Amino acid sequence: MIVARSVLPSCMTRKIRLSVCFSIASICLAGALNGCNSADETLAEPTPVGGPPLMRRLTESQYRATIADIFSAEIPIAARFERGVRADGLLAIGTSEAGMSPFSIEQYDAAARSVASAVVSEQWRKQLVPCRPQSETVFDEGCATAFVEHYAPRLMRRTLSTQELQPYIELVRRGHRQLDNFYEGLKFALIGMMMSPEFLLRIENTEPDTEMPGLYQLDDFSRATRLSYFLTNSTPDSELLRAAAAGELKTREGLAGQVDRLIASPRFEDGVRAFFTDMLEFELFDDLAKDPVIYPAFNSQVAAEAQEQILLTITDQLIGRNADYRDLFITRDTYLTRDLGIVYRLPVATRKGWEKSEFPQDTGRAGIHTTIGFLALHSHPGRSSPTLRGKAIREVFLCQEVPDPPPNVNFSVVQEPTSTNMPTARDRLEEHRTQAACAGCHKIMDPLGLTLENFDGLGAYRTRENGAPIDSSGSLDGTEFNTAEGLAQALHDHPETPRCLVEKMYRFAVGRDTVWEERPYMDYLVKMFEAESYRVPELMRTIVLSRNFFAISGVRQYGGEFQNAGLNIPMEETP
Amino acid sequence: MKNLSRRTVLRGALKGAGVGVALPFLNCFLDDSGKAFAGTGQRLPMRFGTWIWGCGFIPELWIPASTGTDYELPAHLLPLEPYRDRLALLSGFDVKLDGVPNKPHITGCFGLRTGIPVPDSNVKAPTIDVLVSDAIGRNTRFKSLEISTSGIQRSYSYRSAGSPNPSEISPIALYERIFGEGFQDPGAASFKPDTQDMIHHSVLSAVSDDRHRLMNVVGAEDRARLDEFFTSIRQLEQQIALQLEPPAPIENFVKPDAPPQLTLDSEMGNVMETHRIMAGLLAKALQCNQTRVFNVLFSDTTSNLRRPGTTTTHHTLTHEEPLDPELGHQREVAWFARESMVAWREFLDELAGIPEGDGTLLDNCLVLAHSDCSIAKAHAVEGIPTMIAGGGGLLRTGVHLAGKGDPISRVGLTVQQAMGLQVERWGSLSMETNRTITELLS
Amino acid sequence: MQLLYATNWDVPGMTRKFPLFRAARWSALLAAGQLTAAQAGPAFLQDGEAGFVVSHIEYALSDDAELNGACPSGMTGGLQEIFAASPGGKRGPDESDEQYVARVQKGTRTLSTTSDGRALCMHPEAGQPDPYFRTVQRSDIAVFGIDLDGEISNSDSKKHGTCAHDDFSGRNGEPGIDNQFYRVVGCSRSFQSTGMSNSFSTEMLTGSWGILLRLRGVDDIANDDDVEVGLYYNTDPIKLSPGREPLAYASYIADSDSRFRGETRGRISNGVLTTEPVDVRFRHVVNSMVLERFLRDARLQVTLSEQGELEGYLSGYTPVEAMYDQQFGYRNGKTGSGELAPLKLRSGSATGAAFVLGHTCNGAYYALLEHADGHPDPATGECTSISTQYRIRAIPAFVLEDTDSPESLNPVVAGTAQ
Repeated sequence: MIVARSVLPSCMTRKIRLSVCFSIASICLAGALNGCNSADETLAEPTPVGGPPLMRRLTESQYRATIADIFSAEIPIAARFERGVRADGLLAIGTSEAGMSPFSIEQYDAAARSVASAVVSEQWRKQLVPCRPQSETVFDEGCATAFVEHYAPRLMRRTLSTQELQPYIELVRRGHRQLDNFYEGLKFALIGMMMSPEFLLRIENTEPDTEMPGLYQLDDFSRATRLSYFLTNSTPDSELLRAAAAGELKTREGLAGQVDRLIASPRFEDGVRAFFTDMLEFELFDDLAKDPVIYPAFNSQVAAEAQEQILLTITDQLIGRNADYRDLFITRDTYLTRDLGIVYRLPVATRKGWEKSEFPQDTGRAGIHTTIGFLALHSHPGRSSPTLRGKAIREVFLCQEVPDPPPNVNFSVVQEPTSTNMPTARDRLEEHRTQAACAGCHKIMDPLGLTLENFDGLGAYRTRENGAPIDSSGSLDGTEFNTAEGLAQALHDHPETPRCLVEKMYRFAVGRDTVWEERPYMDYLVKMFEAESYRVPELMRTIVLSRNFFAISGVRQYGGEFQNAGLNIPMEETP
Repeated sequence: MKNLSRRTVLRGALKGAGVGVALPFLNCFLDDSGKAFAGTGQRLPMRFGTWIWGCGFIPELWIPASTGTDYELPAHLLPLEPYRDRLALLSGFDVKLDGVPNKPHITGCFGLRTGIPVPDSNVKAPTIDVLVSDAIGRNTRFKSLEISTSGIQRSYSYRSAGSPNPSEISPIALYERIFGEGFQDPGAASFKPDTQDMIHHSVLSAVSDDRHRLMNVVGAEDRARLDEFFTSIRQLEQQIALQLEPPAPIENFVKPDAPPQLTLDSEMGNVMETHRIMAGLLAKALQCNQTRVFNVLFSDTTSNLRRPGTTTTHHTLTHEEPLDPELGHQREVAWFARESMVAWREFLDELAGIPEGDGTLLDNCLVLAHSDCSIAKAHAVEGIPTMIAGGGGLLRTGVHLAGKGDPISRVGLTVQQAMGLQVERWGSLSMETNRTITELLS
Repeated sequence: MQLLYATNWDVPGMTRKFPLFRAARWSALLAAGQLTAAQAGPAFLQDGEAGFVVSHIEYALSDDAELNGACPSGMTGGLQEIFAASPGGKRGPDESDEQYVARVQKGTRTLSTTSDGRALCMHPEAGQPDPYFRTVQRSDIAVFGIDLDGEISNSDSKKHGTCAHDDFSGRNGEPGIDNQFYRVVGCSRSFQSTGMSNSFSTEMLTGSWGILLRLRGVDDIANDDDVEVGLYYNTDPIKLSPGREPLAYASYIADSDSRFRGETRGRISNGVLTTEPVDVRFRHVVNSMVLERFLRDARLQVTLSEQGELEGYLSGYTPVEAMYDQQFGYRNGKTGSGELAPLKLRSGSATGAAFVLGHTCNGAYYALLEHADGHPDPATGECTSISTQYRIRAIPAFVLEDTDSPESLNPVVAGTAQ
């Protein structure tokens, strides 16, 4: 089940309305920008607005990281996870809306059983069971309690009362009784914890904001959870849980200390990777198919490595070198494997794994949007697509939503890629640009994508299509250029580029779309990003240290007193 | 509603298609006591088996020209027309050698069955059938049954290097082993529910105990989602509750008569006859739950099959017979390749000939059929022909999938997962994979 | 997607339909390698250097005997035929399949064993020249290959001891083609186009072995008086598409062992590269045994296309003992780790191959000796090597050296398993 969360009108996803598409693109976009850029010039955080408390499903990568952190990275997780749901442009927002099908419960159950069996196995118990029972066949209440006390708070990301721990201790007892083995009892108690909604869902709890009457805020443990999954894509570690229990996350110093600690830790890279994996829509690779006759160099390994190539470039640039975010669009530094080298036609000496490389200057390849992780993803199975690429640049990097094409369009021309009358994509798209129903939006997408036409549907360099030379001139919102490098520079310089990142990052962090009242806050973040020379770790720090990050909007109630908003859910237990 | 089979329900659940299935819907499948299924009143076990034929295939006579469901059956698959909807055809999946020397007819077979290429019979991991029998074969008399029908005492079922599960080659010996001394009337066997299942069931009940508290801490929108969570938990509880019920009584079971003395050699006609009889015995053994896992070696990977009146074996022909310039392939080799598919059809006939529940035994079997190589004369381990039959709704059939050079361990992984094994990643080196063949699931 | 490997050339005069053995679709294969027109020079040539990986290789022979009449007195007979022709070799009227098979097995085993019980394939010199081993006696047929010795010779033109032999004419009627290996195998069924012996490149395409070529100092791909040419064993498996066709522009590392590196010079004229002679040695694999393929005084004569494909001949002289080992006897077969393979494997493979492919080891050995035409022994005057020609194709590749390997980033980069 997917619940569409009602949010107030959003400014942040600037839909390029169809009517707007008909006007000249650059003017329409400039207008849209101004609408959202009306904040004052100071760098003080505006009054917090906040949003509703959420209930977010752990993503697959979060689940895996969480198990690795709580137990060990070597504990096998034997399950197949359901695909994430993309909502408002992000899987992170989908986690607040996705339901829990019987299939996913079955898989979580399988995962829980595989993890629990491993934890109590002879191989792992010395390391992972925090006590030795007197004997395997005698119930040891002390050890059962110690085990539950150790894992329940870690798995549920909060402290539990003695009363709350009791059912799990009871499960140890029952398991032990029926199976005549203490470790089997521990195993089933652990399965119970891992099937709890409090483990599988991040249920945010709120409390009144003491400083701002009428507003609410996240409680200590919900803060720790939101913070940890944003910065490290994993569960709060014990130090963070300790700080939360001690109320330190409510003080600026306490919070800053934890934030700096997490950003400096190696786990921070996982947070950055998780964000960009989401932003770049890498789950689409699961369905990506290429015609093996046209693109013989494509295979599943190349598909996987194309994603990793971008992520390595991103972490190297943004964390390793603390570079300007916008440099991602102009850098020629990259990483290659043997299989990728075939597509890029570059030598790769390293037999297995990755090596640092550089795109040669003469192909115009610069920026992550000219790697195959972008170019192949936003192409057709047998040919490139200036339109899809232009659309993706608008949506992924500039946060501009392009409407779907109108019905009853004649696509036969563009779907005839070997047409001799129209050998190049530019020729074929001319048709669309001259049809009134199509022209408006294609004018927004095609000039971007056409500059990438020197890269075929897989992303390999070419200078001709069907024998005809390729004209790679194009424009972006008033800036004209005639090479992919020109587009790279234009993306680097575009005012929407950093703003879009800020918006996506914030929405990723809080798991919901932004609301109208958050406009000044977004302007504040954008200005801070600029002031911090577009360093992404700094931006993430600014977000989590802002008061708005933990704020809960006052219009919503908390704790047992929620209004039934039209949904009538029976509360009695199912027989 | 009463006509919906149990499989329909489980199929929905397993495929994730039953998203949001409400409890009242499920209830209609339960009898008055709320425990067992209506209809037979009992559950039926799922079986797993492998069926091997040697020396590969003639690609252009076997691989359908198109993928998906609307493919045309090529000449060598025509014998399987009756089972078209019950078969998944898998072409173009490779054993990846990673520099391991390709021991002809061995490396491909074990690579497919263990997910690890080996240069000899020293497997580095159990074969897939052993992994499955460890999971589902615990409570039967035989953990698995192996048969070889071309007179060769060989098996490709290994727990570890040096410990193969040996094959029966004689129908009479097979009969004695199953239905001779120690055979019990299947109706009399007592049932003891698995205590693991019992405690697992109570764990999930305990999870549900938290429902009321949590429903009160979330907002209205999330309440609907949380409700779905607990409904799904409840459904899983019901599935496990089923395991606590005794299995279905064996319907229509008649103990077979002892088979006649047959000529056990490698002449094709004799092998076909031996195979038919041994397959029939095996089907009966499955029907009365003597085992849940089986391995059939129709012809050895270096196939010693031969036509009557000739002295050259199938394997030798693959290397020796010139290509027929008109046909573009080896004429005699093609004959053996096609007859092997006829044998495979006859094997399925035996399974489908035994009624079980509201279907047949084949409905409750998942059989993985495969060869040891693709083109035998080249010993190519790329694109080894593979099929999945039956599948009990656990896997999609009636479809042809092209692997496009993906590791063949994806097949083994998917089959294990379909059989309920909790495995997420399988194989090693280039064949290590966690990529379930999702096209087989939906 | 079909599976096999594009290995065969179309032989003129033959109407064959091998859907699986289709010729490589260069257009698709090299789509990624089209000329970067605007830039200087073709894409495969960087700073005067171009690397290639051999994508197709087979012995350069001729049309099938059936077509060119090369074997008027019949084809080579295998062990079974020899047995069947021997006294008592016929099947008896009451003999069952099993009985006759057993007798054939026993008989052929005797035929492939020396009088003192050793495998003839391991000791072919202990046997006799085999009258059933037929060779090509005619010289008036057109064969593939090039003129290796620069002479138009015939067996009458030179004295014994100077490697007298008859040249063939080429496919285009050119005289002087030295191809004595064709003479030896031209009447063997397994070397006809429908046979198995000339499809040894299958193991290359499954990654067991490979050959790299490298040109350096190329100023003009059509005409250049002096280029450096390297022929190396490839230490990496060839990269294939899901359709099993070799991919252009893959990276490979050349063997660093000097025995497996041949370096020479050559010239390009009108798009044809011809090199000076050089000894080259490659590995190949039979029945999981590693063998060596050796050519003395090898030269490359290939056309070089604008798309970076090489096509033509790699030709030279294979020492008779080496040719016997690489093609028939496997006496020096090694395991993957470099030790001599177990005798049982070497002997069994060679004897089995003889049985299946239709020859005797001693027959092949003496035929090679008889037709040897190169490198006369200074002491005895006996020829020690036999002219051997390969047809090859190669596609662009990055040919790297072991020392080019940068630090692998593997420890840093995890999580990219599929």
